[in-house]
Amino acid sequence: MVTERRALLPLLGPHRRRHAGPRRRPLASPVSGRGPGKGCPGSGDAPRVSLRRAGREEGARGRGGRASPVCRETILTIEIFLQVFDDKGKDVTPHPLFHPDPSAAVPRQGKPLASINVLNSVLHKFWLLIVTILLELICLLLNVEQKRSRLLTSCNFTDVQARPEEIKEELTKEDLDRSVDLYLTETETIWMLDMPSVVASIESEEAGRILERNKIYADICKNRPGNDRFVEKMMQTINGAAKTKEVQCDQIIMEDKGVTATSWDLYDSVNILEIKPTSKAEGTRATAGKSNKPHTTKDTTSRTVVLENSIHEEEECSSGAILTLENFQRDLFFMERILMENIFQPKLAAYRQLPVLRGFYPSETLFNFTIFKEQGKEKKDKEEQKEGFINASILPDVNKSLEEVVPPRLERLWSYTCDLTNGHSVSSMAWSKVNPDLLAVGYGTFDFKEQKKGLACCWSLKNPMWPERIFQCEHGVTALDFSMASPNLLAVGMYNGSVAIYDVRSRKDAALLGSGESTNKHTGPVCQLRWVEQDRGATGEGKAERLICISADGRITSWFIQKRLDCTDLMKIKRTEREEKKLLGEKERKSGALISQLAAGMCFDFHPKDTNFYLAGTEEGHIHKCSCSSSEQFLKTYRGHKGPVYKVAWNPFSTDMFLSCSADWSIILWHQDSQTPTLTFNSTTTAVHDITWSPKSVFVFAAANESRVEIWDLGVSVLNPVISCIASPREKFMSVLFATNTDCLLVGDSKGEVGVFELQNLAAPRTDKVRLAGRS
Amino acid sequence: MLWCPLSSQAEVEETLKRIQAHKGVIATMVINAEGIPIRTTLDNSTTVHYAGLLHQLTAKARSTVRDIDPQNDLTFLRIRSKKHEIMIAPDKEYLLIVIQNPCE
Repeated sequence: MVTERRALLPLLGPHRRRHAGPRRRPLASPVSGRGPGKGCPGSGDAPRVSLRRAGREEGARGRGGRASPVCRETILTIEIFLQVFDDKGKDVTPHPLFHPDPSAAVPRQGKPLASINVLNSVLHKFWLLIVTILLELICLLLNVEQKRSRLLTSCNFTDVQARPEEIKEELTKEDLDRSVDLYLTETETIWMLDMPSVVASIESEEAGRILERNKIYADICKNRPGNDRFVEKMMQTINGAAKTKEVQCDQIIMEDKGVTATSWDLYDSVNILEIKPTSKAEGTRATAGKSNKPHTTKDTTSRTVVLENSIHEEEECSSGAILTLENFQRDLFFMERILMENIFQPKLAAYRQLPVLRGFYPSETLFNFTIFKEQGKEKKDKEEQKEGFINASILPDVNKSLEEVVPPRLERLWSYTCDLTNGHSVSSMAWSKVNPDLLAVGYGTFDFKEQKKGLACCWSLKNPMWPERIFQCEHGVTALDFSMASPNLLAVGMYNGSVAIYDVRSRKDAALLGSGESTNKHTGPVCQLRWVEQDRGATGEGKAERLICISADGRITSWFIQKRLDCTDLMKIKRTEREEKKLLGEKERKSGALISQLAAGMCFDFHPKDTNFYLAGTEEGHIHKCSCSSSEQFLKTYRGHKGPVYKVAWNPFSTDMFLSCSADWSIILWHQDSQTPTLTFNSTTTAVHDITWSPKSVFVFAAANESRVEIWDLGVSVLNPVISCIASPREKFMSVLFATNTDCLLVGDSKGEVGVFELQNLAAPRTDKVRLAGRS
Repeated sequence: MLWCPLSSQAEVEETLKRIQAHKGVIATMVINAEGIPIRTTLDNSTTVHYAGLLHQLTAKARSTVRDIDPQNDLTFLRIRSKKHEIMIAPDKEYLLIVIQNPCE
């Protein structure tokens, strides 16, 4: 195409040709071939061409021969002022044959393309002109019919026009809802290809003409050989001089981009789209390859890219702020528990009665290894109870000697202790009613001399090294209990007689409710308190829960919450005289002046079946059976102890029996109908501080005296405890508690530790009621 | 649920100290989103080393979990090796890493 155009140039008149050098666009070369740039203003007889590059490189014009190597812009603005002058300086610029109709579709795009198109059309015009002339010559030669007009009009100039530029309309939200009418019409038939048939029917009108023409043609063909007019001749054409033209362009920079669209990626994008439609532009761009943007190196997931945009406004990634994030605190919490799990795993597994792999943890002492035998056949009357330890690696399935009976024992698993609690004596323990892994422990002493600030802690099984909640109290804590109706409430009784209720859901140290303002509060230490569900048959309400306390000032009170925590008296424990004084024959001595008419109450226990009755133990050594309905009279008094009764407990299965322990070194089993003791257990020479029945077996109870913890199994022996665990000399056992869901015992001591012991090899639990044989 | 937000920065520090003082804990690190350690008990080069590697691993683990079910998300990662156990609590803005030797 280029060469042809060059051939046309002589037609235009004499001019000077300059070699313009490499250009950006091939199209530029013929243009430049027409003449120099503006660098040669002197040539008046040459058309002037100026090339202007859009944008930055305005300095580098199309001067003769120089091409600027770096050009990012691919759009060249070529403005052509085409003027042709002949020798005499006359303007012989050919006028364009085509005048675009201004009312017709005007090319709306930018100038450069328009001007190129004009140029195109101008060139086209020349080309067509020449082609037409040549074809005419050929037509004359060959005498073939041609439709000349077609050539001229074949090129529809409107086709050459550029596409009308699309103007972007601003769409608004309302446009989405607007209904748009689309009209579908049929366009005019566009002839793409028209091949007229070369066959005509004999009966048509043209048949005659066609036949004649065919005949003429056949004659010509016949005459062809030997005819002078049909001699083959050869002609030589002039080959134009070949010219090499080089074009240089910028290196085309290739880029690799990879995208991984994972399914969560798509899910996130959809969700973020709903939240923030504006940031969708960033979109799902997870770059596996390199990215041009200066993002941080962590930008490997699109989720972070998308979310980054949404949190840029929030700006909370500062280092110090991380420590205060809620998520961070929660993670710390879990991390601590997981660490504990790693450390305590075998112990916790033993607690849960899971089989533990021995030999895996080299930290286990030899002591633990020696005892475990496979479950063998039982002896005649005893059943071996499997406590969950299998030492498969040491003892295969061989049945060891059947005669060997493993004695029941306590194995210490761990102890709940920390720096805070060291030095405080454990006074009471209570399980949470809904969460069997949550334990509340109260720290304080009953001893008058050693009073210091008390503590109530909630320990969780999952973290034996630090309590979950720490409530500091003004006075020593002497009693506590979890509520059943609202399991987050913990009632704490203190040495000064005040009662406080804490909410374990919060970490605040302050009590939810306190008895400070109550006028009726206790004046002596609260020795025991309990939440009791009682039937409110009279008022028709159903079971309501009340907080009952007994304290050393001799009153049993029931607390309720109206505007504040307040209480009413259930019972005043009057001093009762000892029966021995009323022996016949003796003169009745007048009792001396008493400081108080009331006897200090030390403990109480409500009947498990009928919550109207309860037992109260006093400092005098008497146990009174009372009823909630009468607040003046005792129903019965059980006399047997010679010292203050520290604890009474009904047997949970055989509900006619109850147990009491006292400072006179003895534990007494009573039947509620008999006023004399049924059984007495003397095994130590120290005061028994606490007793508790096992929740699983009717015969088993645990007792804590100062030097030992004892487990008694009345089905085995009534004279001796089955397990006796001796304390180290510094500590005194103060409190015992059975675990409700496993065979473990918790023992609190005066050093502030709560040891968790596992009961092993106890006799099989029995829960039927026990009848006393040979009752007196 | 026993957890409730700790009320003060001091309690956070205390919990961190307790964790560091536990039996068998070799190292504790808190690393922010850019890989810069905020709190660490190891030297800086080791910390940065761990941070880079564990960050990639966490990202891959999270991608795996979410690929299976996009509504799920990774909450905790534990790597047990012959010598230690590495426990990672990942989050959008930080990484909490504790290395423990459980057999001590």
